[in-house]
Amino acid sequence: MIRFEKVTKTYPGHAHAALDQVSVDVDKGEFVFLVGSSGSGKSTFLRLVLREYRPSAGRVYVAGKEINRLASWKVPRLRREIGTVFQDFRLLGNKTVSENVAFALQVIGKSRGDIKTLVPETLEMVGLTGKGDRLPDELSGGEQQRVAIARAFVNRPKILIADEPTGNLDPTTSVGIMKLLDRINRTGTTVVMATHDAGIVDQMRKRVIELENGRVVRDQAQGVYGTSN
Amino acid sequence: MQLRYVFSELGQGLRRNLSMHLAVVLTLFVSLTLVGLGVLFHLQAEKAADHWGSQLQIQVLLCNNDDRNPACAGEVTDAQRDAITTVIDENPEAAGWDLETKDEAFEKVKELYGAEKFEGDNAILTADDMPESLWVELKDPEKFQGIASAVTGLDGVSGVQDMRRYIEPIIGSINMLQWVSIATAAFLVVAALLLVANTIRLAAFARRKEIGIMRLVGASTLYIALPFLLEALVTALLGVLLAVGALGAFMYFGIEERATDRLQFIPWIGMEQYLVGVVVVAILGPLLTVLPTLVLTRKYLKV
Repeated sequence: MIRFEKVTKTYPGHAHAALDQVSVDVDKGEFVFLVGSSGSGKSTFLRLVLREYRPSAGRVYVAGKEINRLASWKVPRLRREIGTVFQDFRLLGNKTVSENVAFALQVIGKSRGDIKTLVPETLEMVGLTGKGDRLPDELSGGEQQRVAIARAFVNRPKILIADEPTGNLDPTTSVGIMKLLDRINRTGTTVVMATHDAGIVDQMRKRVIELENGRVVRDQAQGVYGTSN
Repeated sequence: MQLRYVFSELGQGLRRNLSMHLAVVLTLFVSLTLVGLGVLFHLQAEKAADHWGSQLQIQVLLCNNDDRNPACAGEVTDAQRDAITTVIDENPEAAGWDLETKDEAFEKVKELYGAEKFEGDNAILTADDMPESLWVELKDPEKFQGIASAVTGLDGVSGVQDMRRYIEPIIGSINMLQWVSIATAAFLVVAALLLVANTIRLAAFARRKEIGIMRLVGASTLYIALPFLLEALVTALLGVLLAVGALGAFMYFGIEERATDRLQFIPWIGMEQYLVGVVVVAILGPLLTVLPTLVLTRKYLKV
């Protein structure tokens, strides 16, 4: 589903490569944690998957497409296969929960009928039944993240990318979010999650890829957060 | 593509950025009006030059039947006319010549004073009353004395008319007006472009969150840019409408109501030239807003 072949990414004006000869293979339906300290290259990895950047060297394949060669006008189509969740939720404050989720479908031209069935269905799945008319401000952090996940998942993407989705949440709420991501993963969606949260990684026992200074230093099935554990 | 979102965004965008949009509309209005006026003045100068001959032409009037000039002995004959054109052909100051027939001269008079006075039984003039003339093209507008004296006195020549003395100041002022309005318009066009650019920057900033999400979920670039393009088109349309109205007012109150009556000897521009101005303004207006929008949305909304 995601394949990095000796990928190097150097940002203009930086001597150090943000990613250095990274080769990683993520299969369909896998759940992968991406760990490492700040600046280790996690975000760059995710951004390459989203084709926000092109690699400086090497090849990146996402959902069967080689993104180096993907024409700019085809990028939106690629992104429809990928759902994205961030630490800061990125909800539209002037839209209700339902509208926020529907927005993702509207702007890619889904019909009103599709939106009418998909939005409540997805809200129910993330556990927000009955909160569709609330504004994001009226919800707790965990609930806001659920809205963001609903928005990322409403179009049933093949890949879900989560960039520290529990970074702003307390441990109890984080567990709820992880359960939700796990459920989404079990529908067959590939999940790649960058995180600093050792507790969660240790608890979930999924594949762990650790980055350090832009290199993969560990790729472990059913791994834990720190090597010392 | 679901356009409901696009149109609600359009309305919201126009309201949110009302003062900037008004600034764009007003700047466009004034600059397009000036461009339009420049076009009208240009066409006016052209029309006047067509009528009187350009500054490179002098007119050799030939004798007609009831010419009161003692040099004339009745209508110019073919042989006389040939002799005159030979003299012109051989003169080093002349670049060429053109015969204006009685009918052509009559048409010019009709155009100037209104055709109705010259038709029917009570016509004050007929084509037959008009003299034929030769429009002589000069190589150098300053050098016409030689050719004037060469033809003066030839059989069949009633006189040499150098209309340039009267026309030059008029065409000169019209030309000056033309350049003043075009030059002022050029500055305002730059101002309009900068305003459009600023408006888009502000709008893109105000909507950066939405735009970020749209890019993430895979909205097409066109879909993201569409509200911006429509905003640009709406402001252009308003600017064009105001300018077309202002030019219409100029044509009506300036040309039709005043100039045509008071300065009858000048052939004034009319509906046809106004439409040319309208077309120029209607093409230029949208270009001025849509082009920078296309360029800048590519920059700000890059996927």
